[in-house]
Amino acid sequence: MNLTENIEKQFAEVSNTNVVELRKSAFTAFEKLGIPTSRHEEWKYTNIKTKLNEELSLTPADSQVNAAVKNYIASLPPYAFRIIFLNGVFHQELSIVPDLKGLTICSLKEAFSTHTSLVEKHFGRLINYSEEHFAALNTAFVNDGAFIHVQKNVLVNEPIYIQYFFTASDVNAFTQTRSLAIVEDGGSIQIAEDFRNASNINVQYNHVSEVYVGKNSSMDIVKLQLEVSNAIGIHTLESQVERDGKFSAATITFCSPNTGTGKPVIRNNVTSRLIGENAHADLNGLYFGKENAHIDNHILVDHVAPNCTSNQLYKGVLNDEAIGVFNGKIFVKPTAQKTNAFQSSKALLLSNDASINSKPQLEIFADDVKCSHGATVGQLDENALFYLRARGISKPEAIQILTYAFAHEVIDHVHSKPIRQFLCDKLKDELKVNF
Amino acid sequence: MLSIKNLTVAIGEKKILSDFNLEIKDGEIHAIMGPNGTGKSTLASTLAGKEEYEVLSGEVIFNGKNLLEMGADERAREGVFLAFQYPVEIPGVSTTNFMKAAVNAKRKHHGLDPMDAKDFLKLMKEKLALVEMNKEFTSRSINEGFSGGEKKRNEIFQMAMLEPALCLLDETDSGLDIDALRIVANGVNQLKSKNRSFLIITHYQRLLNYIVPDFVHVMYGGRIVKSGGKELALKLEEQGYDWIKEEVGELI
Repeated sequence: MNLTENIEKQFAEVSNTNVVELRKSAFTAFEKLGIPTSRHEEWKYTNIKTKLNEELSLTPADSQVNAAVKNYIASLPPYAFRIIFLNGVFHQELSIVPDLKGLTICSLKEAFSTHTSLVEKHFGRLINYSEEHFAALNTAFVNDGAFIHVQKNVLVNEPIYIQYFFTASDVNAFTQTRSLAIVEDGGSIQIAEDFRNASNINVQYNHVSEVYVGKNSSMDIVKLQLEVSNAIGIHTLESQVERDGKFSAATITFCSPNTGTGKPVIRNNVTSRLIGENAHADLNGLYFGKENAHIDNHILVDHVAPNCTSNQLYKGVLNDEAIGVFNGKIFVKPTAQKTNAFQSSKALLLSNDASINSKPQLEIFADDVKCSHGATVGQLDENALFYLRARGISKPEAIQILTYAFAHEVIDHVHSKPIRQFLCDKLKDELKVNF
Repeated sequence: MLSIKNLTVAIGEKKILSDFNLEIKDGEIHAIMGPNGTGKSTLASTLAGKEEYEVLSGEVIFNGKNLLEMGADERAREGVFLAFQYPVEIPGVSTTNFMKAAVNAKRKHHGLDPMDAKDFLKLMKEKLALVEMNKEFTSRSINEGFSGGEKKRNEIFQMAMLEPALCLLDETDSGLDIDALRIVANGVNQLKSKNRSFLIITHYQRLLNYIVPDFVHVMYGGRIVKSGGKELALKLEEQGYDWIKEEVGELI
């Protein structure tokens, strides 16, 4: 049985009976699209088909809470809100969801029955599953995920922490997880999505986040991909931003696989559609790749309405034989006059065998806009290195300090203080910088 | 303290220093003057260990050790300090963190434990006062957005923090207004001691009104062509370098 037949057979067994018509439609789209190969322009540098197992299992795998999961949860900062999934299955007993007026946090499965009209209004509506292979697959198969809803004018001050653990005991599992976050007009929220392989085998997962940012509201999402070294992880984050809305996404990836055993691939599709006037999007990212890590960031800001602004700031540090891919798109529709869009991609290559494929792509159909992009690939600044050494700091330590400084800018943009601090510590840890 | 013998240095194919000789004893202040392009900054950078500069021959002995065998960082830990002509901006690293790393690297080299946080803050406060800088400077990224004068004061601050034996000042006075010059010079004067020597490279005699040198040397064509006391600097200020060029013309 080939991969497509296998997936078709499994679709017949999907047990979730919510939004059945939408799922069928998404599955039909997937059948047309299939799993992409490097012949697809958007997957040119990431031949995902050759990486995924043939015998994919899309139904949720066993989700026993293991010691790795418990230890990690115990090590987390005391976030006020946390919601935990193992292999796509919600674990109420590990989650903390205090009542807050105007805020709903629950599993998507629960939301389908308790907030039916709200979920159906947005679920599968924000992503473009007729064109995106993995968004289609996810929509057809997803079993559960996080649902977050912020009512009009409600400001949530503490970050919401969503943890997706993968503990697959089945090497064929291809876990489909999903978040749906809605902030209504005038609301505000900060969310962290943390993806973590809590097993000692390679895991495969496909995650979709759909995000709706209402008028004059704000949402910050930090995607943490810090323990995904032995994983194939495909992430799609699609946001729609209304008039005067502000959206920011920071995607932080640390990928340092164990030599020989892993074939890690992290792919991020991050899209923001600015559909109301004066909307703003920051799409930032930081990635560290070691050994044979493969980290692919595809970013798109779609300027639909006039007077909107957007920034893309991506920084990468690649060592050993790691491969990075950056594809940053800015689309400016004919309606989007007075757009101000900026993009910057910088990669540090710390070894001769590391590589980056960087491709800015600006498609501008309005005539009164400001768009700029810049891409640099390089090594550390020799003058800066000498300056530190001239103060007695050894060369290896100077390299660590300068790498820290290079990377820190992205973390500096994270709005949530506890998450920023968490990332700062993680970065120091990773680079063995002790100040 | 420092003994430079027959030092010849090149960048690429170009010889910059040739047969350079200089002796500096403990506690002495030497000034080196000279027209542009005579190798003054090359001398400073070579002593600090910048790798583009290739030493073709000669030796440099610093407190009994062969300086040329050490990397830039080891020289610094042994007590050589270069105040840069063009201090480097490093976004993302605060001066506090930079100094913490530098001070502790030196302490480790000399077999000492890292300085505890309280002592470190106290030391910073004391040394900041020396160059009339406030604490806010140290939480900013190294030299980022600093004015010319602030950058040079930061160099002297770092010098004070690291308590070197040999201080190399590479045109620290260039481009400074009179207030900044006074502050920088005052900082240097307070750091003078019988165990600490200075090599001050400058274009202008003006700095030497504030920091009084024991010796003034004139560099030309990659070597010292004339030495004297502080009165030599005054003569250079009044008469320029032409008379020196004439005097030594046939030697070059």
